[in-house]
Amino acid sequence: VVDQIRLWQIENERMKATPGFLFKEFENQKDYQSCVTYAGEIGVLVWKNETKGLFFVSKMEQLRDFIKSRKIK
Amino acid sequence: MPKAVRGVLVQCDPSIKSIILKIDSEEHAFVVEDLDDQTLVIKENMLSILKMRLDAALKENIKTPTDDEESD
Repeated sequence: VVDQIRLWQIENERMKATPGFLFKEFENQKDYQSCVTYAGEIGVLVWKNETKGLFFVSKMEQLRDFIKSRKIK
Repeated sequence: MPKAVRGVLVQCDPSIKSIILKIDSEEHAFVVEDLDDQTLVIKENMLSILKMRLDAALKENIKTPTDDEESD
């Protein structure tokens, strides 16, 4: 029973899995920042690392349109 | 253009993450990106298999006295 409880805890508390998309290889910090800010505003931002210029979103459609409209290279 | 890579973001304890990396090192079938000591991205279709492997690995690691349910 103890084993089962521990495994259950790992599943539900110690390991969180979110499907989505990792964005990377931004040309500059400004483009990265504007995308992170936008992703946060529309509520799809799950994780980010500013030093590495990476972030993860749960949905990408709106963000893709944003990138296109801003002509982010 | 920035790149968008599809996957599942896994956030967990460093100890759990090291087990995931160990499982992945055998065939490199799971991990897409290693992000930091508590975060990685894995292939979407491999999540359930990874969970099963992780459960199996944890069961092996947990040392508890065997409860023998068989009674006389």
